[in-house]
Amino acid sequence: MRRAEILMALALSLGAGALLRQALRLPIGWTAVGPGAGFFPFWLAVGVAVCAVILLGQGLRAPLTEEGGAPFIPSGAWKPLLAVFLPMAAVVALVDYLGIYLGGALYLAGYTWLVGRHRWHTILPVSVLVPLVLFLIFEKWFLLPLPKGVVLEYFLYGR
Amino acid sequence: MPLLSVFNDLLFGLGVALTPFNMTVAVVGLILGTAIGVLPGLGGTNGVALLLPLTFTLQPTSAIILLASVYWGAIFGGAITSILFNIPGEPWSVATTFDGHPLAKQGKPGIALTAAFTSSFIGALVSIILFTFFAPPLAELALRFGPPENFAVLLLAFATFTGLGGGNPVKTVLMTLLGLLLSTVGFDIVTGQPRMNFGLISLQSGVNFVVIAIGLFGLGEIFLTVEEGLRLEGIRARLSFRDLVETWRQFPRYAATIVRSTILGFWIGVLPGTGATPASFMSYGLARQFSPHPERFGKGEVEGVVAPETAAHSAGIGALLPMVTLGIPGSPTAAVMLAGFFIWGLNPGPLLFQTQREFVWGLIGSMYIANVIGVLIVLTLVPAFAAINRIPFGILAPLIVIMSSIGAYAANNQILDLWIMLGSGVAGYLFKKLGYPLAPLVVALVLGDMTEQALRQTLIMGRGSPAIFLGRPIALGFFLAAALLFALPALRPLWRRARPPAEAKEAMEAGSLR
Repeated sequence: MRRAEILMALALSLGAGALLRQALRLPIGWTAVGPGAGFFPFWLAVGVAVCAVILLGQGLRAPLTEEGGAPFIPSGAWKPLLAVFLPMAAVVALVDYLGIYLGGALYLAGYTWLVGRHRWHTILPVSVLVPLVLFLIFEKWFLLPLPKGVVLEYFLYGR
Repeated sequence: MPLLSVFNDLLFGLGVALTPFNMTVAVVGLILGTAIGVLPGLGGTNGVALLLPLTFTLQPTSAIILLASVYWGAIFGGAITSILFNIPGEPWSVATTFDGHPLAKQGKPGIALTAAFTSSFIGALVSIILFTFFAPPLAELALRFGPPENFAVLLLAFATFTGLGGGNPVKTVLMTLLGLLLSTVGFDIVTGQPRMNFGLISLQSGVNFVVIAIGLFGLGEIFLTVEEGLRLEGIRARLSFRDLVETWRQFPRYAATIVRSTILGFWIGVLPGTGATPASFMSYGLARQFSPHPERFGKGEVEGVVAPETAAHSAGIGALLPMVTLGIPGSPTAAVMLAGFFIWGLNPGPLLFQTQREFVWGLIGSMYIANVIGVLIVLTLVPAFAAINRIPFGILAPLIVIMSSIGAYAANNQILDLWIMLGSGVAGYLFKKLGYPLAPLVVALVLGDMTEQALRQTLIMGRGSPAIFLGRPIALGFFLAAALLFALPALRPLWRRARPPAEAKEAMEAGSLR
């Protein structure tokens, strides 16, 4: 836990540095139109950097108690966490090609089968009906186009 | 402000809200909102954000009634999951779990739920009355605000997080600054220069707070749920008529708590940037402090349900006041609604009362109607809503992910936002585990443009010198208040040493859970 605090403070310091560099590419002082475009982000990034350094100091100074020495992510939690995260990342990566409806159907089917360990009589209706209902709601009723992906585009519009 | 004209306006507003179409909109919104509040990981902020794109086809008045009803519904719904499953579907219902779940486990879920809904209803109703009479004068006061006053109010909003939020104040300040920084991504509003985009064209349109909020709150919550190995197993809830009567007969006993929680909730809600969550915690802490039996709290004390629920609902109403009158959202959910104002072509602020009478009073009128309908709906539909939580997590989790993706994509129509959402989800999980508060980041991201503009205009007015604030009494007053709040975390230990009751300390710590 203590190590995670320190790592987070370090990461935030590095992030502040990168943001500071971005801000410094712009005028940060007084210009013809008042404070320059970089003025606000510059001082904010300075503030973030200061806070991150203080937090780093707090993390380093914290006594190493039993609780503080405990692992940040409990060892048993890695598997379920990855089981949630990886399919999520995969479906985001695939949305461009499969769209939200087909990608969502695959994701629902895969997740309920592999992680939820459901039988096909649960998997099938869920993974077919939910995308279908969403499709009707968003595309038909509210006329809100969501990414449909090349496959669905081809079947719907022949392109 | 003549009283009679307020009544006239209110009658007009009730007339607007009572049209069949707007009534239907309110009922739909309430049911959707309650369902969203019941679902863990889908909060009122998400619900409103998800539905925002769908409101473009409606009239602004109906649109705000829909979003506001979702908001009320979510506050009601949050209590259901907290009490039955010990899973706060909303951050502000965390305090409700302290006593609500023990009550449910003792076989009194009906009493806990009735107490929660009834106190929510009372808190909301009293706040709406306060809202009706305070909104116009506050709006008139706001007309006298210039850039320095606006900047000072915004600073006060950020200071409230630091001063009243509890937790590590450095972390709160850091999250606020980070939110403000995210708001600078895109184009500079004054010079038109692209900035802070790390050379990415897709980032030139800026970072959308809807995407960040869905990631931080929605996905982050799923990760936390999974990590804790929570299984959504609830207690069967049946609400009998006897439970209702029995709970209501006890209610006069909690009169003092209700009055205190309502006023506290409304005030904290009105303060920009705070919202229902800190209100519910503070109210719980105070109820315990004032109780003759503080040791009963946390073990199933009905008063421990009444206090946070009253305050949360009261703050929910209060948070809308600065949004409508000043254009400053009092909570993340109100911030999402504020975005709606701009999209519907309305300029929030003091002039709204003059230019958009139907909109403003329609909203106020709908608050009366929606809360009456809302309490009736939730009291009758408790078992049905509880059934949602019997959906196994293996199905619920991917459903929430898909809904979140749709919400994030619809905000800007770009795939990059899905990656930003995913990244925010991981960040939200890490931040939450390490005690970095999420709400200040989201609120700062929403208020960023406004803050920067106010600051730059003020500096131009003062020709580069911040001394201009000294000559403006209202701004100076806000400034001093903000300074006091920023200093509060440092002052609190001194005060506590002078007067060290154990409950006060615990209440403070409870307040830091946010």
